[in-house]
Amino acid sequence: MLDLLKTLCYLSGASGNEDEVRDYILERVLPLSDGILTDSIGNLIVTKKGRVSGGKKVLICGHMDEVGIIITGIDDDGYLRFDFLGGVDRRVVIGKPIYIGKDRIRGVIGIKPYHLVGKDEEKKVPDREDMYIDIGVRSKNEAKELVSLGDAGVFDDSVLEFGEGFLKAKAIDDRVGCAAMIQLMEEELPCDCTFAFTAQEEVGTRGAQIVASRVKPDIAIILEGTTAADLPEVPEGKRICSLGGGIVIPFMDKGAIYSRKLYKTVTELADKNGMKWQTKTYISGGTDGRVIQRGGNGAETIAISAPIRNIHSPASLAKISDFEDMPRLALLLLEAIADNQ
Amino acid sequence: MLLKDTIINLCGLAAPSGFEERAFARIKELVLPYVDELRTDAMGNLIAVKLCGRDGAKKLMFDAHMDEIGMIITGYEKGFLRFSNLGGIDPRMLPAREIKILTDPPIFGVIDMMPPHALTEEEMDKSIDAKKLFIDVGLSETEAIKRVPLGTAAVFAGGVEELSLGTLCGKSLDDRACAAIIIQVMERLSKKEPKVDICCLFSTQEELGTRGAVTGAYGVNPDYAVAVDVTFASTPDTKKGETMELRQGAAIGVGPNMNRKITNTLIDIAKEYKIPYQLEVMGGNTGTDGWVIQISREGVSTGLVSLPIRYMHSPVETLDLSDAEAVVNLLTEFAMKLGEDADNA
Repeated sequence: MLDLLKTLCYLSGASGNEDEVRDYILERVLPLSDGILTDSIGNLIVTKKGRVSGGKKVLICGHMDEVGIIITGIDDDGYLRFDFLGGVDRRVVIGKPIYIGKDRIRGVIGIKPYHLVGKDEEKKVPDREDMYIDIGVRSKNEAKELVSLGDAGVFDDSVLEFGEGFLKAKAIDDRVGCAAMIQLMEEELPCDCTFAFTAQEEVGTRGAQIVASRVKPDIAIILEGTTAADLPEVPEGKRICSLGGGIVIPFMDKGAIYSRKLYKTVTELADKNGMKWQTKTYISGGTDGRVIQRGGNGAETIAISAPIRNIHSPASLAKISDFEDMPRLALLLLEAIADNQ
Repeated sequence: MLLKDTIINLCGLAAPSGFEERAFARIKELVLPYVDELRTDAMGNLIAVKLCGRDGAKKLMFDAHMDEIGMIITGYEKGFLRFSNLGGIDPRMLPAREIKILTDPPIFGVIDMMPPHALTEEEMDKSIDAKKLFIDVGLSETEAIKRVPLGTAAVFAGGVEELSLGTLCGKSLDDRACAAIIIQVMERLSKKEPKVDICCLFSTQEELGTRGAVTGAYGVNPDYAVAVDVTFASTPDTKKGETMELRQGAAIGVGPNMNRKITNTLIDIAKEYKIPYQLEVMGGNTGTDGWVIQISREGVSTGLVSLPIRYMHSPVETLDLSDAEAVVNLLTEFAMKLGEDADNA
């Protein structure tokens, strides 16, 4: 799963621009699937038959998109103006490279020299409207040859293993979910399943909204990446979850109270099978589960997540031992669901 | 080696203030073919000398600093590393910043960001105090202490890449781009016959307050000196009048830190050889090695030539090669000109 995740993190897929990720996943899952479709918003919906058919309709869901930027303007001297796609803390883009559009045009978000920064000024983060991207051109015309308004950009794509089993990459949220889903599809499944690789989660779970309407699941399993705030300066009560603490199984986040029944089942399965797990100790974040749970007639919903430090940044960090059991735990849950029918 | 390649090569090295060994070794290797003497001193400066062979020849010194801004590890917090700056770093540049820690072999780290939910509404608009930030090396405390001793230095990860044709972008262009320029000048001069001795001072610890240049200039004891450093190029967030322009040529320093005759000679040469230049007028401290070189021993006639770069002290410093070429041409012709003066004297 690690190699697969690394490959997926490298791909560009800012919200609304998931093509590269979708194309890769499509090719990868085609031989494993019994039915495949891409819908109007760009979700990739794949079905795979299991040993048993006709039971409850199970949906497994993870999003393909990542946070990024979108080009909104070009200055006369060739600097690009931008807005964020998804929730990006503007603090993390200062002095960072950005790769724009299909041709991966390299730009950097600069900031004036520290020597010219006043004492009060250094305490304030520049507004997004005042930030700009430098692609090394001299004029608007030169810039226009390389970049168009509406082009999306992503963070640096280098992927690195370091420390004691840590991984650094952009877009671990939620390529970790996509990787777990692909790996799960490679297994023999106990029941029929629909896998939705969704678009536009980061701009408000837009893709999942219409997946729910199309698939109408009874049970939904969301595979996600979630904020870990286990840092020295964060008070104990706000750390949410930690790297090295194992798979995250939340009972609740800002978007949903998860199915108590499924929560009990999954946590017991993890215990029984010797898998390290933790829950979220602070209510924050949200997943596609918020719309899938309440789409149509509703679905019993649970999330299985990987803890990620610096989520939504170019240098998000995950611990490999925290996520490599995600597909196995999801499979155990499917077995339990199938056994219960 | 092409100037571009030398810049990319030198800036890829990790050599923060006080830990310049890597830059020292490489610069020494690159300048060796063009000089007659190489030496160092207690501050770790690299001094390279090309003799002209004339009795009583005057001595011209070119200076560029080898060090870059960086960090130094000062403590541990449950496996996270506490750090202090080496040189001036904007704290707003630090969250989610990738770091190379100079253990042997170097290890990778990331300065973690404070997650938004742990900040108050008011704090959301503010930069995070560097004291609240730590380097994450993905290690337990025991391992971190074992692998990263206190006092280990660190730099921004990465090197320099081409941003567009002729535009280079990355870390430590300040001031290794100028070290590369001086190497290039020495290569050019090796095919000419300058009439002065030329000393290159590749200095240490400039970022901590031009410390290396103090002993470096004392040791070299030059008659003339030109400090070669980077200066600010304008960007949308700088004010008019506080910066130079990218792609407008070498910035020739004007002001009390610079000897007027040297300044005028530089300007005359730029005009004569049609080398693009701009004037950078500074009322006092230029913030370069030139400030201490000027008052070394009994005084040195000092000039300042600067390379305009954008985003100084960031990991995305940006230069244009046309400006770097202009600096090379200007310094080369200046060295030759001083020789002419020697003939007349």
